[in-house]
Order: sequence, then C-alpha cells, then structure tokens
Amino acid sequence: MLAATMTRPDTGIAAALRRCAGGDRAALRSIYDSEAPAMIGVAMRILRRRELAEEAVQDAFVRIYQYAASFDPSRGEAKTWIYAILRHRALNILRGEARTDYVEDFEKMDVASEDESPEAAVSRLSDEKSLKKCLETLEPVRRNAVVLAFVSGLTHGEVAGRLGVPLGTVKAWIRRSLVSLRECMG
Amino acid sequence: MISGDIDRLAAEHVMGLLEGGEASTAEKLMGQDTEFTARVEYWRGRFGAFDESAPRIAPSDALWARIEADIARVPQPAARALAPATPSWFAGLWENLGFWRSAGFAGAAAALVLAFGLNASLREQAKKPVMIAVLMTDANRAAAVVNVSADGTAELVPLDDIAVPAGRALQVWTLWDRARGPVSIGLVSRAQRMPLQLGSLPKTGINQLFEISLEPEGGSAIGRPTGPVLMKGTASTAL
Repeated sequence: MLAATMTRPDTGIAAALRRCAGGDRAALRSIYDSEAPAMIGVAMRILRRRELAEEAVQDAFVRIYQYAASFDPSRGEAKTWIYAILRHRALNILRGEARTDYVEDFEKMDVASEDESPEAAVSRLSDEKSLKKCLETLEPVRRNAVVLAFVSGLTHGEVAGRLGVPLGTVKAWIRRSLVSLRECMG
Repeated sequence: MISGDIDRLAAEHVMGLLEGGEASTAEKLMGQDTEFTARVEYWRGRFGAFDESAPRIAPSDALWARIEADIARVPQPAARALAPATPSWFAGLWENLGFWRSAGFAGAAAALVLAFGLNASLREQAKKPVMIAVLMTDANRAAAVVNVSADGTAELVPLDDIAVPAGRALQVWTLWDRARGPVSIGLVSRAQRMPLQLGSLPKTGINQLFEISLEPEGGSAIGRPTGPVLMKGTASTAL
C-alpha cells in the first residue's frame, strides 16, 4: 500500500479536486480512501493523540472540499496542497488547544502515543528521496532539530528544550541546515 | 529581500516555525509573490517525503460520517485563496524588543490628542488619568486607550470597533515585569469600555506595555497570549 500510494500519479488527486469543486462527494471519498490513513499518521506525529489527529483530518477534508475550486494545478501539486491544509489544521490544534491538555490532563496523556524518534522518522524516508540523502549529510543533532520542527511540529523554543541547547543555537542550526539542504537537494 | 531570505522564510513557513511579523509577512507573500510561492512549493514538495512515509493508521469507522455531516452544513464558496497556511501563533514576541520598537507609534501623538478629547467629553466627572496607553493596530491606527487613574484603577476605552469571531474573546494584557511575563488584566467578548484588573500589580510605570490579543472565549488557557495580537501600546504620563 505504501508503494502504491507513493507511485500513484498526482493527477488522480488533482482530478478528484476538480470534481470536488463541482460538489462531487464521491470524489472527496476517493481522496479519503487513498490518503486518510497517511494523513492520520502525519497528524499523530504532531498531535500524539488519536482523537485530535482525527479531528485534524476531519477539518482538513472539510476544507479540501470547501476550497477545492481554489486549488491551482499551475502553482503546485495536488497532494502537496492537501497535506499543507492538514499540517495547518494540526499545528493550529497543537498550538491552540492541545498544548495545555498535555500538562493538565494526565489521564489523557496516558493514551498519547509514544514519541517517534527523529531518527526513526528519517529512517522511514524512502531511500530514493533526496531529502533522506541530504538530511544524512547534516550533523545528527542539527538533523534532529530540523526533523523535530517539521515532523513533530515543535517550535524553535520546544526544539531547544528538547535538545537542551539555547534558543539562538537552534534557530541558527535550522537556518544553516536549510541552506545546506537546499544546496544538496537542488 | 534577497533571495536567500525569501528561501529561508519559505522553508520556515513550510515548517510552521514563523512567528509574529515574519508569519504575517509570509501570509501576505503567499499567492502574491511568485518567487516566494514557488519556494514554498519547493519546500513542501521536498519535506512532503516525510508525509509520504508517515505510518499508516486506519481511520475510525465514524470519521467519514463526521466529514460528510460537516460538508452538508458548510457551503462551498467560489474559488478563492485558501486561508493562510501558517498559524499566527503568538509566542516569544514579548521577548522580542525589536518587534515592540518597530511597531509604529507614528500615529500615537494624534491618537493621544484624540484620547484626551474623548476623555474630556465622555468622562467629565471621572477621575483624571495619570497614565495613558494608546493601543495601536498593525495598520498603525489607534484602536483603544488604557487610562490609569491616580488611585491605581484603570479602564479600557475602545476607539474602533473590533471584529471578534464567535467563540473568541478579547484579552487585555500588561507587561510590568519581563521576568514574570504578560499578566491578564481583562477579558471581554466585544470591544467595549471596561475596568481593568490592575489591583494586584505594582503601580503602572512609564513605557509599561499593554496589549489586546484574540483568545478562546474563556481566555487563554496558558496564562499568556496565544492568539494574534490585535493592538498594543506603552503607557505615557498624562499631562
């Protein structure tokens, strides 16, 4: 299934989005069938709790349907577009709502999933991807800073806390890593 | 902005790392600036490898039904730009002196005159304010005034109607001690005159910051601003 999803041409989602824009719910369902499991996985990495991850995915699909007409294939890939919507929703939930739950609601904390390590997230990347090859050229602690920010949705301050280094150091690490990644990935 | 800056801004936008002024800059550039939009697409595409390799988790049975119920309720608008893709989450801004210094105070003098006029006409009998803070929006417009009286009581006087979405509220904050951070001094569901809770704080000082942020209905759950800052200003001595 993983391979099938990764090799599926993007045009499938783009075509489904065009049908969604015309009010075709079956088209939304086809996107749901192919992408919902991965989308829940992406949201779980950020939100760590199943109910919040599903809420993010639910909100994302409502927005995908609502704004399908504004997707412009000349500006980018359809798949990238739907994941950008998902990440936006997940980060909003994380930063607006979930953060305090973690501190105050210990019962709910028990059902939060184990944190996936940044190393594990990198090792899951397809070997074909330039991102994987290029991340591996970075010093491990800097690589972790980038991965924690993107994959787990941590802020600069949270990455600093997690890695036990000053905020300014994390900001500089991430900025320099982004320059290196860009040069490496082309 | 040089192209390296654009690229860095685009990458950090995609990562969800931007805050404050940079976050709003990115939101404005998105869709309007071709180079920025292309750089965002580049980074989304490259980092998208993480999304593609995320662990697959089967949705619960009820999820699709909830989505269907939601889309039955919401109308599909005509094609228009999607809402900004970065949450304007307010964090660390209080620590960023540059942000406060660069906030435009050009209109403050005019606003002070306005505030005094307002005071004179509306509050003939009221206690004379000893300190005044004019709260300015990003667009450099005076939107509210904080009056602090000689007896230490304080009042918020809105000058401008502020749109507050359903389920949200305006929360008033002051920063009298950087070490302690912002302290909530009032919460209100719409822009209206209201007393501020300065009682437990030391006497208001010159340049003490006041600001209003948009928060959930019951106020910020974490005791500091979490929503976008709608306006801010520092206290001056009233003549």
